[in-house]
Amino acid sequence: MSDAIRLEGISKQLGEREILRNLSFTAKQGDIFGYLGPNGAGKTTTIRILLGLLKPNSGKATILGEDVSRDEARRKVGFVLENDGLYDNKTAEENLWYYARIYGMAKPAERIDRILNLVELRDRAKDKVGTYSKGMRQRLALARAMTHNSELLVLDEPTAGVDPSGQIEVREVILNMAYREGKTIFLSSHNLGEVQRICNRIALIDRGEIKLYGELEQLQREMSGNEVEIETTEAISEPLFAELKSLSPLGLRDRKDRVLTFVPQEGVRIPDIVSLLVRQGVEIEGVSKKEASLEEIYSAILKEVEPS
Amino acid sequence: MKGMPVVLQSDVGDILHSRGFLIVAIIIGVITVGAAVGVPIALNWWLATGLVWEEAKPLLELFMGLAVNYVPLIVLFTCMATWATDPIAKEKAKGPIESLLATPLTARAVWIGKSLAIFLPAYIIGLIATLIVILAMNLASILPTTGHFVLPLPEAFTSFLLLPLLMFALISLGVIFSLITNPVIGQTIIIFVGVLLLQVVGQVGGRIWWLLASWDYALYNLAGAALLGMIAFYLLRSLSKEKIILSSKGKWA
Repeated sequence: MSDAIRLEGISKQLGEREILRNLSFTAKQGDIFGYLGPNGAGKTTTIRILLGLLKPNSGKATILGEDVSRDEARRKVGFVLENDGLYDNKTAEENLWYYARIYGMAKPAERIDRILNLVELRDRAKDKVGTYSKGMRQRLALARAMTHNSELLVLDEPTAGVDPSGQIEVREVILNMAYREGKTIFLSSHNLGEVQRICNRIALIDRGEIKLYGELEQLQREMSGNEVEIETTEAISEPLFAELKSLSPLGLRDRKDRVLTFVPQEGVRIPDIVSLLVRQGVEIEGVSKKEASLEEIYSAILKEVEPS
Repeated sequence: MKGMPVVLQSDVGDILHSRGFLIVAIIIGVITVGAAVGVPIALNWWLATGLVWEEAKPLLELFMGLAVNYVPLIVLFTCMATWATDPIAKEKAKGPIESLLATPLTARAVWIGKSLAIFLPAYIIGLIATLIVILAMNLASILPTTGHFVLPLPEAFTSFLLLPLLMFALISLGVIFSLITNPVIGQTIIIFVGVLLLQVVGQVGGRIWWLLASWDYALYNLAGAALLGMIAFYLLRSLSKEKIILSSKGKWA
């Protein structure tokens, strides 16, 4: 798959402050790319560079093969910025018409109607945006991002300040855009749960540097430490626990009620552990390979980079 | 400049539907009616003293000069001071300007669109107000006395073309400042230069009134417009999306 976003050695300085340092990563077409980092890490600056709002001091950024400094690149991208940027004195429809005309769309009526339907705002289309709730505004901002049918959507914290039910609605719209409309999505967010639920690839930025980057599932496996959890029908006896613990290649770490946690050494396969337990008369209810949650990964990485 | 007409049309719509427009329309309506009624009354009072045409001509030129210079100047200045910077300040603070700049629109297209959106309604209102006053003066005073309409060509040229050109240069300068710095700076510049121009017209009218009806005065206006235009053109080098974003309210990282 070709690259939707490509950043190579991007650095940005504002005044004395170095905001981004040698930033490089790639988002593939079809990705839902999560861009994470604490406040002030450089997420918004990265997005502003991608949208041609700021010029990098060095490095190269492309969107779907176009240099971000070219107007053509911005035709290929829809966006939701941190401030939704909607006009309060215009209706939802007028806001979308305005942007459709800026993008040079000849007959946008049908498209606007379809998108308002997708974000479930068709019945409020004639209302002034100033009367909308935060969740509705964010859905309308997402609709605006899709108006000109761009292949890539850049979303800067689209659920920030939105109540939980609004967050679910916004998330559904994002998933619809990704799977029904086939869009590539670049999602900057503080909400780790949200990113874990919907993203397939992530980058973690802190103090202007990428600290972690890759496919989420792979990172979760790598960061889990190869932990295996085996759930038994009954809690195992103390002598059996001691015996299993003494078999060091199994790497039995922990026992919580009916759940045994193993970190097997190299060469020891999960079926080997299961058959050993069965031979010991233990009935197995379930086996799962533990994956580190995004929250665990996030805290581990940020703890690593904290100055001592 | 693709997309500029869209910004222009949207901003004109916003101005026409704003409360500021209503206030400006009332103020200008009062000024226009005041001038259309007051100036002919004053003129008739002078003419009633039995002046012959040769004696009355300078007087008519003075009144006409003041009317065709002051009315458009006041109208354009009132419109500019009300509309020029406040909408930009709000767009910068609340975020629409950032979204606008993230589209294929160039910073220059946004600048020219916003400048024209302020200028065009102001120009049309100024034109109507000036024509009403000229017509009232001619119909109520000049035509009955001289038997023909009076509107010296240099005055018409200055009033309908050069003064608006000067004001457009001032608006575009104010809009540049509003975009790349704090909009208050843009507003201060517009008000300072606007008040200065009103003072100049007042001083010229009071001391060297004959100058108002001359081509020299038209040339001074042209020179003023050219000077402000050149300053605006020079400052265009500083107009970039980055400057606009960084001078807007919002976090940097």
